[in-house]
Amino acid sequence: MSQTITIDPVTRLEGHGKVTIHLDEQGQVSDAHFHVTQVRGFERFAEGRPFYEMPSLMARICGICPVSHLIASAKACEAIMSIRIPHTAAQLRRMLNLAQMVQSHALSFFHLSSPDLLLGLDSDPAQRHIFGVAAARPELGRAGIALRRFGQHIIELLGNKRIHPGWVIPGGVTEPLAAAKRDEILAMIPEAYSNIKIALNWYKQIADSFQAEIEVFANFPSLFMGLINEDESIEFTDGALRIIDAKGAIIEDGITAARFTELIGEAVEPYSYTKFAYYKPLGYPQGSYRVGPLARLNIAQTMGTPLADIELKQFKLIALGPVHSSFHYHHARLIDILYGIEKIEQILTDPLILDKHVRATAGVNRLEGAGQAEAPRGTLMHNYKVDENGLITWANLVIATGQNNNAMNRGVLQAARHYIKDGKFTEGILNRVEAVVRTFDPCLSCSSHAFGQMPLHIALVSPAGEVLDTVTR
Amino acid sequence: MHSDPIRCLILACGNTLREDDGIGPHLAQWAAERWRSDSRIRVISRHQWTPDLAVDIAAAHSVIFLDCSIDAVPGQVDLQPVQPAAPQFALATHHSSAPALLALARDLYDAAPQTALLLTIGASSLELGEVLSGTAEAALPRATALLQSTVDNLLNTPEALR
Repeated sequence: MSQTITIDPVTRLEGHGKVTIHLDEQGQVSDAHFHVTQVRGFERFAEGRPFYEMPSLMARICGICPVSHLIASAKACEAIMSIRIPHTAAQLRRMLNLAQMVQSHALSFFHLSSPDLLLGLDSDPAQRHIFGVAAARPELGRAGIALRRFGQHIIELLGNKRIHPGWVIPGGVTEPLAAAKRDEILAMIPEAYSNIKIALNWYKQIADSFQAEIEVFANFPSLFMGLINEDESIEFTDGALRIIDAKGAIIEDGITAARFTELIGEAVEPYSYTKFAYYKPLGYPQGSYRVGPLARLNIAQTMGTPLADIELKQFKLIALGPVHSSFHYHHARLIDILYGIEKIEQILTDPLILDKHVRATAGVNRLEGAGQAEAPRGTLMHNYKVDENGLITWANLVIATGQNNNAMNRGVLQAARHYIKDGKFTEGILNRVEAVVRTFDPCLSCSSHAFGQMPLHIALVSPAGEVLDTVTR
Repeated sequence: MHSDPIRCLILACGNTLREDDGIGPHLAQWAAERWRSDSRIRVISRHQWTPDLAVDIAAAHSVIFLDCSIDAVPGQVDLQPVQPAAPQFALATHHSSAPALLALARDLYDAAPQTALLLTIGASSLELGEVLSGTAEAALPRATALLQSTVDNLLNTPEALR
């Protein structure tokens, strides 16, 4: 008798998702899917709006990474305007994007994943949360909260709001950086270094104890994609995209936003509202790839900052070529944070950072434009078409979670097959399946939020609809 | 970031797009106007209470949480003391309760406000809409009067005067 195990919702994610695990007649896992159960209609909402409204509209998509949408959208608008923004504006945007990355990664690592890493994947789920971490290792809890506040406060200083800031507009930013704000951010840097050092040292001590999970948490060869600078250093805001294969060979380089859709296609599957991005020359699903912290570190030769470079060298010792296990997203995320702090400090010492010229202006000079940036969880691309009056006639967004979608599904199947035997499972086993998804830190519904406490209900259902077993928490 | 000790932290949560769920932010807006020039009082209004607010709680002598209540009779104004208590469920990530935030401030920063109170108004409707229900609207004057007197008392305690 075939059976299905359902994990609905998957917990400690941004948004709501569901996992189904299908068992065959012998109780072995035959298939597994990660479902995103909410419709995203943002592209439709945008139609008919003036293009210059798009950044502020698109920022509302997500409460976690509105800055990424602001920046990718503004860049798409600037392609329509055919302009290059002033150097200072580009630097200020880069700092804003990095601040967002730091706060989002801190949320992912400390709030969502550290309960598993510190308390154990089999620990009591009633205690397996950030409050449990705070009670067990207060210094870790303090570091996580402080890093999140560090990023959020920079966003608030620059964009006047912690969530859904403005400031980034087509052509640059609305106002230059004040010296007082620069000094306030610089004053926060030493504590941020101290906190990420605590996290990195702790993680490197405990990582080896998760060798069993490393082996089966989405551990397979794949392509990787991310932004990179011409000097081979990691990049979040400008630069161009690079794609490497599973052995590390560069198969595409210098991909500008204008070429994105030439190389990247999107497939759909009946079980999810999130699209599945793939590299067109290899087709779907062979051309599926991963983005985000792991991909960024796999494609980069250098971080471009001294402390993060030391960490990158250690990270690259994990494997001879690209690091394949998605468990290492956690480690990569911490190195991203360190890089972000260093880069923000570098940007603030740019002699032109207080320059008053932070905006370029123009009207509609092209009828289509695309912009790309690195969101915390991976590459984000906005593509718009407008009429001669600048009204949006078509829009498409390719988000990081869609680009990791195939890998997440493969990872769920890999872990389910490894852990679930003869139809038997425990809460700890199902938490491991969930934890595979958490490594990617997917953002599923962005602007949607939970109402209430989101109970987890797992049911084992026979083909006839009979509930054979349930686990509820 | 604010690191100076705050005599009274007023911490509201709610969504102003869901009718009476916006009670907390409405009260917070009133409080922010009322004590705009009083540096002893800090008002924070959020859609959700998140763990990072433990830092602000740890820096405050007293805290008043503002929220709607779905358990109370619609329009009923209540003021209750709050004790620290860690959540007993696994999903404490995107939203924290007042007791949980107090527990977090205690565990992380070894800090406990001398007074912690929760002021609520019973919600009548949580449907989509940017205005409060008539019942909640009618309760606002009683809630603001209670908030005023509570803050006055907190500011006049011997500890607060130090």
